[in-house]
Amino acid sequence: MSKGAYTGPLEKVDSCCYRIPKAYRPDMRVDGLIFANETLIESIRKDQSPDQVANVATLHGIQGASLAMPDIHWGYGFCIGGVCATDPADGGVISPGGVGYDINCGVRLVKTNLFLDDVKHRIRDLVKGLFYTIPAGAGKSGRYKFDTTEVRRLMGEGPRFVIDRDLGVARDLTHTEALGRIEDADPDEVSDHAVKRGSEQCGTLGSGNHFLEVQVVDSVFDADVAATFGLELNQVCVMIHSGSRGLGYQVCDDALAQFRTAPAKYGITLPDRQLACAPATSPEGRKYIAAMRAAANYGFCNRQLLMHQTREVFASVFGRSWEDLGMELLYDVAHNIAKLEDHTVDGKKKKVWVHRKGATRAFPAGHPEVPEAFRAVGQPVIIPGDMGRASWVLVGAAGSMERTFGSTCHGAGRAMSRTAAKTMASGRKIEKELEARGVIAMASSRMGLAEEQPAAYKNVDQVVDVVHAANLSRKVARMRPIGVIKG
Amino acid sequence: MYELFEHTADLGLRATAADLNTLFAEAAACLFTAVVEDISTVRPEVAVTVELAGGEREYLLFDWLKELLYRSDADHLLFGKFEVRVRDDGLTGSAWGEPFDPARHVLSHEVKAITYHGLVVERTDDGWLAEVIVDI
Repeated sequence: MSKGAYTGPLEKVDSCCYRIPKAYRPDMRVDGLIFANETLIESIRKDQSPDQVANVATLHGIQGASLAMPDIHWGYGFCIGGVCATDPADGGVISPGGVGYDINCGVRLVKTNLFLDDVKHRIRDLVKGLFYTIPAGAGKSGRYKFDTTEVRRLMGEGPRFVIDRDLGVARDLTHTEALGRIEDADPDEVSDHAVKRGSEQCGTLGSGNHFLEVQVVDSVFDADVAATFGLELNQVCVMIHSGSRGLGYQVCDDALAQFRTAPAKYGITLPDRQLACAPATSPEGRKYIAAMRAAANYGFCNRQLLMHQTREVFASVFGRSWEDLGMELLYDVAHNIAKLEDHTVDGKKKKVWVHRKGATRAFPAGHPEVPEAFRAVGQPVIIPGDMGRASWVLVGAAGSMERTFGSTCHGAGRAMSRTAAKTMASGRKIEKELEARGVIAMASSRMGLAEEQPAAYKNVDQVVDVVHAANLSRKVARMRPIGVIKG
Repeated sequence: MYELFEHTADLGLRATAADLNTLFAEAAACLFTAVVEDISTVRPEVAVTVELAGGEREYLLFDWLKELLYRSDADHLLFGKFEVRVRDDGLTGSAWGEPFDPARHVLSHEVKAITYHGLVVERTDDGWLAEVIVDI
């Protein structure tokens, strides 16, 4: 049931940005800004996501504008593709809905020294090996089981905890956002329910839009940056998209229950209950922040274990060690998270809570949080697309610090509902269609494959064109899938 | 009666019933039709009981579904049959099901969470209507 199109104002700011003026609604504190071109904005108008951008503009302490990336689509509470920064010194709120249920859902890209010609005859074995080794889909437990104490330690230490158990190497950490450990996480603020859900799920892919893909570098747009990242034409890479699994969902659930009474307590009027929030400095806010950071560290660990299993499968299929296959982590980025960051707002330096709900951090060259190896060019940004067309590697650019609190898009964004995609897939064999396009796909759920078919998504190339033109992040390389495993 | 309805990235659950008790049971059945392809394949071998306090019906429905989802995910259980007694100050619910068995159950979605977005429990001309959007 789509409740119809957005009918409010969308003023063109420039060729890649549209404004919902503050005057649209009396409760808006700032403008809404949607980054899109003429083609994308027409599809964005068709659902209520612009109204969700306006809803977010009502939050206490919001800075600059309520922002949306070109992959924006209708979410619950916040739109997907939304960025919102709040100033804790100005009554700024923290909102679990602005992070999402899947805390630290994100992407990592693992390189190899193999090329398309080395892999194309082995791709079926590789996809089978990955599919039968890596637990994917609903109801799957992982091969790594941790007791309650271990799960809490893992949330405190991040991937370091599993690397100390030989499930990775120390250099993986330097290529992970926040070095894989967000400081001031408090695992004791994570409920027993959440810990229980997390005890068997670390190292599992999950379902929905999560995936693991074998990809090949299809085009290189910036040879210098690509060389710095260690990417070249026809090189084979693995992209891993997953989050903090049931543990993260439960942390968000628990916080939303605790936040039910917060709006009344702090005099906040909400246009949508799912925007539940509390001042970041309030007891409720602090508790959520501590637990959210712990869940984020679990998310980094989950992707670390998924990468470890991938390295093992490649080693077994090619009969060489993963080190010998050059399976180094390019980078790991979160796209559902809230982080306290330094930004300049109206000429003043401030520490703000940047909520990224389906948006990726995109720090430019010279930023101190960009790993040293990439500091001269900028942070690698990994953008998963759909399983038939493409994904992208971008590099953070200066415009992101000026316009979007250091953020860019996070993916293609859905263009079609799950039910519509399923209806469209009826009578078709999605696996066969993908195979005809040169993609070998295995999924644990038929329905998952139908709902995630390429046509259900916007064309990621168009989304990337906008963030490139807006100088939020710049094109480095386009990746084409050749093998896919899905939940 | 229940059905799934569309939402861009997620799924909507809609249930209708003559009374609140049936409405809550139907909403739970609707949730598990989003989880498993054929809910009739779930045998009622184990029972769980849920006691919840709360006077606000929408939050009560939310908490009921959230609790079932938690038990399903944490204990690898699927549920297919439900009975609920809704009171003014809470509810007592029972759910029957069995452990997930990949040989007999085809799972369709991992429901991450129940959301508050568009959450509705309201009277209609001939009974009650509930709508919930779940995160996939």
